[in-house]
Amino acid sequence: MDAGALRTEVKELLATGLRLELAPSDIPDESPIFGDGLGLDSIDALELVVLVEEKFHVSIPDEEVGRQAFASVSALVQFILSERAR
Amino acid sequence: MTRTVAVTGLGVVSALGGNVDALAAGLLEGRCGIAPLRLFRHRGRANVAAEVPEELPGHDVALDPATTRRLSRADRFALAAADEACHDAGLDASLRRSAALYAGATTAGMRETEEAYRRRRAGEDRRFRVSHMLATPLSTPAAVVSQALGVFGPRGTFSTACSSSALAIMAGAEAITHGRARVVLAVGSDQLCRLTYAGFDALQALDPEPCRPFDRERRGLSLGEGAAVLVLEDAEHARARGARVRALVAGWGTSTDAHHVTAPHPEGAGARRALEAALAVGRVPAQAVGYVNAHGSGTRHNDEAEIAVLRAVFGERLPLVPISSTKSQVGHCLAAAGAIEAVATVVALERGVLPPTVNLRAPEPDWRDLDFVPRAGRRASLAVAVTSSSGFGGHNVTLVLARPGAL
Repeated sequence: MDAGALRTEVKELLATGLRLELAPSDIPDESPIFGDGLGLDSIDALELVVLVEEKFHVSIPDEEVGRQAFASVSALVQFILSERAR
Repeated sequence: MTRTVAVTGLGVVSALGGNVDALAAGLLEGRCGIAPLRLFRHRGRANVAAEVPEELPGHDVALDPATTRRLSRADRFALAAADEACHDAGLDASLRRSAALYAGATTAGMRETEEAYRRRRAGEDRRFRVSHMLATPLSTPAAVVSQALGVFGPRGTFSTACSSSALAIMAGAEAITHGRARVVLAVGSDQLCRLTYAGFDALQALDPEPCRPFDRERRGLSLGEGAAVLVLEDAEHARARGARVRALVAGWGTSTDAHHVTAPHPEGAGARRALEAALAVGRVPAQAVGYVNAHGSGTRHNDEAEIAVLRAVFGERLPLVPISSTKSQVGHCLAAAGAIEAVATVVALERGVLPPTVNLRAPEPDWRDLDFVPRAGRRASLAVAVTSSSGFGGHNVTLVLARPGAL
């Protein structure tokens, strides 16, 4: 799967998995996933880790990895691609 | 000096609408909010309920987006009612900050939890999600209201079945008279869910048709949902800040039947003690009472025990005391019932309208001498009224409410 298709899937997972009142296409590529932009909190973070691990078969074992992976949609796409390449 | 408990703000959400004016209009017109059940599918004897309309007005309280996204219906009802009540009472941020909050709840966000279970069983979700469980604790509506409105004082949630929010009002009144709080938000909120609907139906406690309290052909209750909030305040404090005193909470009493898990005591022994205690606390003679907002669930057992209690306490004067069941209009809202009916009673005192018992065609033959205010509300000048709530397990609460200056 190329990065563009993966990006679309990640945004769909965010919007539908967390039941956001946002269209996937309205989620920006480069802003932080957590923080003010999408209105997500620590409970959403717990759930998003599980959703991403299940959907993309990757592992987010600790906070440090999570911080890098969830820095933005683009960072999450890169993280999934690099995990899959290992 | 003894402190007096004033009601300075009201808010309500029910099948009759999303604010106090809608409730008052519905009471006067005799509207019945009980209609075919739409919220979920139920296969059983009954299929009607008093649902809060979808187009319920929102609230403009500040909550972060993540919390807002996860609110249950019970949370949203409580927020809308609390917002209305705080505006009505003119409570600014500093008054809310020091307020206490007492709430009644029986199932809180159970319906959202049921939905999560249904999605899991249907394969729509692969696992239970923690966010769908956060509305489950009975303390959640109170937590959401205090967070949204910035209420930092003492807080508690009572779960005494159908008297829960009446007990919350009583706890608030006691906190004020004992000087523990000057302003209290008394909250009752519950939503329809499969657990209660199927449970009451399995007990054969639901009338297949809209309930008919006090009718000779009554067959049970109709479930409802909603919320009500009363702002209670030390009357001196209310006067000093120029707040409008809408009514006084003049007396309160509670008791336990210790009799059966669902049935009331056949002679209403516990309910009678609650009523007598409420009159005694308020030093209100029975002959001063001009209206009874009854528990009036519409089950054969309840109505019979309740009329027996009223006959014992009010004696030969009872035919002169109008008695009605607001549950005939808004259904039995379980934990919210006590607070919703307290609001209806304050509306009766303040606006001079006796709330009706709708759907009543022919009362029990032995009760033909009594005035159940059938069909529609009736204009009447009232000074003192009582409102009673009884819950499964024999939890009874009675409140005495009075027009300011009446006692």
